[in-house]
Amino acid sequence: MTLVAERLFMSFGGLLALDGVSLTVPDGGVVGLIGTNGAGKSTVLKAVSGLLRPHRGEIRLRGRPIHHLPAHAVLAAGVAHCPEGRRLFAGMTVEENLRLGGHLRRDRHVAKDMARVYDLFPVLGERRTQRAGLFSGGEQQMLAIGRALMARPALLMFDEPTMGLSPIMIRRILDTIALLRNQGTTILMVEQNALAALMLADHGYVIDLGRTTMSGPGTDLLADPRVRAAYLG
Amino acid sequence: MSTLAQQIVNGLVLGALIGLIALGYTMLYGIVQLINFAHGEVFMVGAFGAHFVSLRLLPADTPWYTALPVMCVTAVAVSVAVAVAVERLAYRPLRGAHKLAPLITALGVSILLQEVVRVFYPGATAPLAFPRAFPDGHLVLGPVTVLWTGVLALAVAPLLAAALHLYVERSRLGRAMRATAQDPETARLMGIDPDRVILATFVLGAALAGVGAVLYGIHYTQIDTAIGFQNGIFAFTAAVLGGIGSIRGAMLGALSIGLVKSLAGQYAWGGAQYDYVWVFALLILVLMFRPQGFLGRPERVRA
Amino acid sequence: MKSKTTGVLSALLAVVTATGTSACAAGKTETAGSAGGCDTSKGTLVVGVIAPMSGKLSAIGLGIRNSVQLAVDQANAACAVKGYQLAMDAQDDEANPDKGAAAAQRFADDPNVVGVVGSYNSGVARAIQPKIAAAKLLLISPGNTDPVLSRGADFATAPKRQYGNYFRVVGTDDLQGPFNARYMVQKEGKKKLAIITDGKAVGESSATEFAKEAERLGAQIVIREKVNENDSDFSSVLTKVKTLNPEAIFVGSEYHVAGPLSKQARDLGLNVPVSGTDGLFDPQFIALGGKDGDVATSVGAPIDKLDSGKAFVDAYKKKGFSDGYGGFGAFAFDAANVIVASAGKVTASGGWSGGLEQRAELIRQVQEYRTDSGANGTIGFDQYGDSVNKMFTVYKVTSGAWKDVLSDQFEAK
Repeated sequence: MTLVAERLFMSFGGLLALDGVSLTVPDGGVVGLIGTNGAGKSTVLKAVSGLLRPHRGEIRLRGRPIHHLPAHAVLAAGVAHCPEGRRLFAGMTVEENLRLGGHLRRDRHVAKDMARVYDLFPVLGERRTQRAGLFSGGEQQMLAIGRALMARPALLMFDEPTMGLSPIMIRRILDTIALLRNQGTTILMVEQNALAALMLADHGYVIDLGRTTMSGPGTDLLADPRVRAAYLG
Repeated sequence: MSTLAQQIVNGLVLGALIGLIALGYTMLYGIVQLINFAHGEVFMVGAFGAHFVSLRLLPADTPWYTALPVMCVTAVAVSVAVAVAVERLAYRPLRGAHKLAPLITALGVSILLQEVVRVFYPGATAPLAFPRAFPDGHLVLGPVTVLWTGVLALAVAPLLAAALHLYVERSRLGRAMRATAQDPETARLMGIDPDRVILATFVLGAALAGVGAVLYGIHYTQIDTAIGFQNGIFAFTAAVLGGIGSIRGAMLGALSIGLVKSLAGQYAWGGAQYDYVWVFALLILVLMFRPQGFLGRPERVRA
Repeated sequence: MKSKTTGVLSALLAVVTATGTSACAAGKTETAGSAGGCDTSKGTLVVGVIAPMSGKLSAIGLGIRNSVQLAVDQANAACAVKGYQLAMDAQDDEANPDKGAAAAQRFADDPNVVGVVGSYNSGVARAIQPKIAAAKLLLISPGNTDPVLSRGADFATAPKRQYGNYFRVVGTDDLQGPFNARYMVQKEGKKKLAIITDGKAVGESSATEFAKEAERLGAQIVIREKVNENDSDFSSVLTKVKTLNPEAIFVGSEYHVAGPLSKQARDLGLNVPVSGTDGLFDPQFIALGGKDGDVATSVGAPIDKLDSGKAFVDAYKKKGFSDGYGGFGAFAFDAANVIVASAGKVTASGGWSGGLEQRAELIRQVQEYRTDSGANGTIGFDQYGDSVNKMFTVYKVTSGAWKDVLSDQFEAK
């Protein structure tokens, strides 16, 4: 297993945000989290990446506990988090953003990986010296994905990668994620577009009020009448 | 005409020295939004460190070209050590606390450092003569005379500011600093340890203040425990004037302050008695029409 | 997190307060054993000191404190006040009127305090005077030179004694300023003069009196400028002064401004003497940049010209204080001796109760006091509480040290 999260509890100001969520992400698998707004999906990702600290529960990456690590150490351990709203460094160039993605890397393959990102998204390669803030939403998402890839993570997490994008761009981003999946990348994604998420995912979890209410292979969940009624209606 | 030129040079020398302190203010604010009022004292302890090594440890006949680098290294070491200690003991425990807490702490640390030096450094209860570790003559350029120490300040300060600017723009650590300044949370997701970046910022600011302290000491040939406070106020003003967070802005702001102080003393109404008034009038005027300062970016509300 | 935060803050505060108090609390220093052969059965009487023992003027303040200590030790050794041990209680005013006034209030409330030597700064004295008037606490200043303190705002035209309990052993600015001007104009032949002050009362008043006398003698004041006391950079104001080609600069301030200012003037090519009053007369002036040819006038005659002065210097050196006696130690020594001698007379017929009656009696004794063998020669007081000794001396920096040029009794013209 790449990632195992067991019985995570977390509350903000007396409100329970996570109420015992558990999930696993197998090596090379794609896991999708679906649920309504405020169900706790993003909180799960932030707990994994160390931005938030669960009050109880355990998170292990390839068997190693990471729930006590600060965010910068979680990245070093192998989890890259592509946050909601993309959160690029708008004042910096494409290239600087990518370099920041690979900030911890000391190996000689950084340049090669950067070239791979430019191959994946040629528009970034053409505009590598431009400031990220000047790009369209879809292009920014590409850069955010590229930036996350630069860390060569064991687990790549996407939080709402298609939010606010045009249909064409949504298609493009989902295709990219599918491509990454086919290349063997292990992915945990939160997506409010449940249909898209479950079609991409090998395995899905339905999160509601901080709990895992259903789980199963993506296609099974897609076929489930309760899921269809609640999230695909 | 010759008076004007002389006053411009006077102002630039003062501005260059203030600028080296202003760089520390602007960097720290840019990265942690901390107004480190103790930074002036970091400058002050550097001056005392250099004073100590020169008078107590170096033989009296040490030539200036040996003494000056030794004093600079000592001043930098003392300033950096104090800044790191202050960051560790006073500011780090307050990370995440209300913004007012570190501000008040900064004032407390500032008083603490002044008192500690005043009480424990031999003779620091009164102004101390600073060793003259540089050729004592002056450069005469037509009608303008500048002490060699002033020439040194004019050369070194902008050079260091430019080097700092390049370092922040080009280096890996500089990139981490800028990332933390722009979006600390996402910077953590890039594997950047905010504590290390903040510490590095304190170290860089303190190192520049340490160099500034030696340049200040050899130029004015006297130091006392109040120089940090006095020059810190001007440096902070310079950082705000130039656009807090901007490195070039801080140097530009400091040079402007030096020029205004010197030219207002000569030409403005009220003479030298009112030179401070004109400095702060400039600040108010600039902030009225350009609240972000000369080179600052307008404050954005973070998502 | 919260408790940690408060912990750090309170620790910080504690340290700040601790260092603050340790700096202020010079405390009572009784001299053990000095009362060896004397009868001290009636207890301890305190001579207070209020002086700037830290800050930019500490060279002066520490000299004052040590000199009073010396006087007290000598008095104890000589059994000067029968039945009593004497002790000194020195309080640091940091040249700050509020601090001085607070210390004075404490002394006034303490019946064991017979009198106070202080303050050095005229500004501090102004805050102290009203605080201790009602308590009739004896105050003898070793350094206040502002004439207003004794004779009121109309000191020149309609002098009026301000406080019956206030005395001083130094000459005033209305005499010292003109004395300085007479030397600069008549002896040094300077006809074009610039004035730079630091905005403090004492600097302003001496500069004004200097200017009046200099103009009366036919010299011209080409410019008068003010600088900030905390500045280190005077190049701007000196560049401005230089354009007017003065032959000398009168600095109405103390050595910490005048020293660097003298150096910076020379660096700018304005190589003319700096002149000033007693605030410049300190070795620190030269260490901080004062140059040969610079002038300071000071109150009294040079200490080593009088046998009594030499005796003071020798005794001071023998004590091994870590700081020199400074420009005002000898005056503080004389002031302390006035207190000791007067207290000895008051307590001769009975003890010391610290009551108002006795304090008033002590003040009467001080008013009557007269000696010609003070460290500064004649010590005594006129009807305003001012020193009857109008002797002033001109000192000049020569080969890197102060050297006296001439001494004279000042006579108004």
